[in-house]
Amino acid sequence: MEVTKEILETTTEIEQTKTFTSANLPTDACEVGEIIIEEITRNHKLLHRHRVKQSEVSIGRGYQNDIILTDPHICPAHLSLNYSQGAWHLKDNDTVNGTLLENPKGKHRHAHQQEVRDGDIIILGKSQLRILFNDHQVPETIALSPFESLIDIVRNPIAVFISIALFLLIAGHISYLNQLTETNVSQLFVSAFSLSLLFALWPAGVALVSHLTKHDPRIFAQFGISFSFFVLMWLSERLEKIIAFNSASDSNLGLVFSLLPVGLAFCLFWLNSYIGFHVSARRRVVVAASITVLLFGGSYLLQYSKKPEFSPHPQYNATIMSPGFLIYPSNNVDTFLEQSNKLFEQTTKAAKKD
Amino acid sequence: MRTFFTIVIILLSQTVSATEQAEEIFAQLTPSLYQIKLIDKASGEKSSIGSGFQISADGIIATNYHVISSYARHPEKYRIEYLDHQGNAAQVSLVSVDVINDLALVKREVKGDMPYFNLSDKKPTKGEKLFALGNPHDLGMIVVPGTYNGLKKESFNERIHFTGSINSGMSGGPVVNKIEQVVGINVATSGNQIGFLVPHDKLVTLFSNYQQQTNIDIKAQMAGQLMASQNKLMAALINSNWQSKELAGKALIPIIDVPFIRCWGDSNADKTDALILAAIANCSLDENTYLSSHFFTGSVEIEYRYMQAKNLSDNKFYHLYQQQIARAGAGNRAGKDDVSEYQCHHDLVMPESTANTKQAINNKSIFCTRAYKDFPGLFDVLYLGASIDKNQQALVSHFTIAGVSRENAMSFTGKFMEAVSWK
Repeated sequence: MEVTKEILETTTEIEQTKTFTSANLPTDACEVGEIIIEEITRNHKLLHRHRVKQSEVSIGRGYQNDIILTDPHICPAHLSLNYSQGAWHLKDNDTVNGTLLENPKGKHRHAHQQEVRDGDIIILGKSQLRILFNDHQVPETIALSPFESLIDIVRNPIAVFISIALFLLIAGHISYLNQLTETNVSQLFVSAFSLSLLFALWPAGVALVSHLTKHDPRIFAQFGISFSFFVLMWLSERLEKIIAFNSASDSNLGLVFSLLPVGLAFCLFWLNSYIGFHVSARRRVVVAASITVLLFGGSYLLQYSKKPEFSPHPQYNATIMSPGFLIYPSNNVDTFLEQSNKLFEQTTKAAKKD
Repeated sequence: MRTFFTIVIILLSQTVSATEQAEEIFAQLTPSLYQIKLIDKASGEKSSIGSGFQISADGIIATNYHVISSYARHPEKYRIEYLDHQGNAAQVSLVSVDVINDLALVKREVKGDMPYFNLSDKKPTKGEKLFALGNPHDLGMIVVPGTYNGLKKESFNERIHFTGSINSGMSGGPVVNKIEQVVGINVATSGNQIGFLVPHDKLVTLFSNYQQQTNIDIKAQMAGQLMASQNKLMAALINSNWQSKELAGKALIPIIDVPFIRCWGDSNADKTDALILAAIANCSLDENTYLSSHFFTGSVEIEYRYMQAKNLSDNKFYHLYQQQIARAGAGNRAGKDDVSEYQCHHDLVMPESTANTKQAINNKSIFCTRAYKDFPGLFDVLYLGASIDKNQQALVSHFTIAGVSRENAMSFTGKFMEAVSWK
């Protein structure tokens, strides 16, 4: 009890000393503390970082301060941090908008005359400052993931060029297949080019968002990764088609391969976020998974909502490809009839159900 | 000059006598002629009309099945009423139907014996003058003279070809000969004085069956008739001669040699800018069975399509070819209340009959079927075979059959698949 009293008295003494003789008193007469002050955004993104070795740090809008803030809601001499007896205390100078302290758990309290601890955030006006001591625990070093080397390859301008060129070829090929009249090369080029532009919106958009959120846009890496994956997705679609062409309707292989594009899309979104944003691994997986679900679930819902209650037309898979893609052996008529025979039971059951 | 007058006089006198005859027939038979109305119970208004005629003293009236089809399918929604020549209307009950020949018997309440139409016991002769009676477009009872022109050629279910105007609303009305005996029942028209009648012997059979068994469950009766009819049709199709015919000189296709299946051909050989040369042969049964305005059955359609790429890569040819076969549809109209949805099976199939020969064909085969809800054991089936063994040529073989049993569908499909090959 007595001890506490003593300390308090000492503190007031020092303050008094300072108020009166701050100009001519040598700094080494006081205890000197080291503190790191980070200017952060409301989303806790770092703007500036200051390391201060003083016994008192003044913060405010006025130019006499150690740390000058431009926020108009802050007073010219807003607050000061004082070091004594191994602890920092905050002093609010009767400001218009006051000062709050937020601890790392998110709890707020009035800041005046409070002790400031490592990781606390000072809220003043519309600005926020994070206080860190030099013994602040930093998280463990994250080893560079193997993706880094993959990304290094993909962001190489030559690799970006190759993936975009491949995509152009594929887009051209698709529009060639869909052209119902004689082939017109300039038309093919225009449609392939416009398709590529359309698809380029995705990596460009991601890069823009990461730039806006104060991250490195890494536009080449985004383009390289996105276009490589677009090519991969076309390949997986091709593979799915070959399987659909070769296998019978009761085969489950087709289902497995139809999940491939979903997996690829997830990987693409994951890598997009890996390249463009610094977020925790869990958050990255959640974001990539939600975009994938949104994309595929949304298109499934759209199809489902368009499906009529009753369709008088047969729905069958009519995938055919040129004989070069034929891998499986054919059945004979009897086997086919035997398998088709099961449909009669299924439809009879369906007819009875309604 | 004198000859001219003679001819004119003879012609005039004949017209006069025909008119007189018609008037006389009409006057005598009117009491036994009715307008048959289907009344929607909820709205109380008529939903369809036709004609009918009494064929027994105790009030049995014959009409067309299609006049009262809505009642037969949904008895809870409608009631059937007659309207006689004096404007009296009363409810009648449906007692028997023949869906295949489009006939129905309804029964009215009678107080005592009533006059009725006699059914003829023999067929008319070709060129014989007949009189069709009925109430076209709700305009009142009329009589239309016309000529008997034998049975319609190439029909599976017999129909009389009648040269005379038959209009809608006259359906179910009788057609009588000079001695006022019924020889047919108005059923359909194809315009321009061409009308079709159900031969009277179908009515004779239906009536005598009814006299033997009066308490008939209409739905079960229809199911039995549809089943028997498809058995007869499919037996005729499967057991007749299947001629192997060339298509575009490249493929061999079966043409079923029965008079009631008729084939038509088409090609795009004249279109020089087409990417694919196509030759199509279409064979079909011209008639079908009316069950309701949204539900038909009994149709058979067969289509063969030969395609040859012109300056196309294999990939593009197959891409366009796939679009050609992606949307095969049902051959008959049917709704949610009538049938289940289609279910399909597909596989790669190489028929054994031609395997290891030059004619061998490798197909992607698709088989789809849907079941009838009210007539168990009957199905609509669809088959589509698409050749996948030639880089620049393709052969599509396709058929749809409506209202067929599982056994018949399977044996027809098996025979069909084995019969299509390359040349």
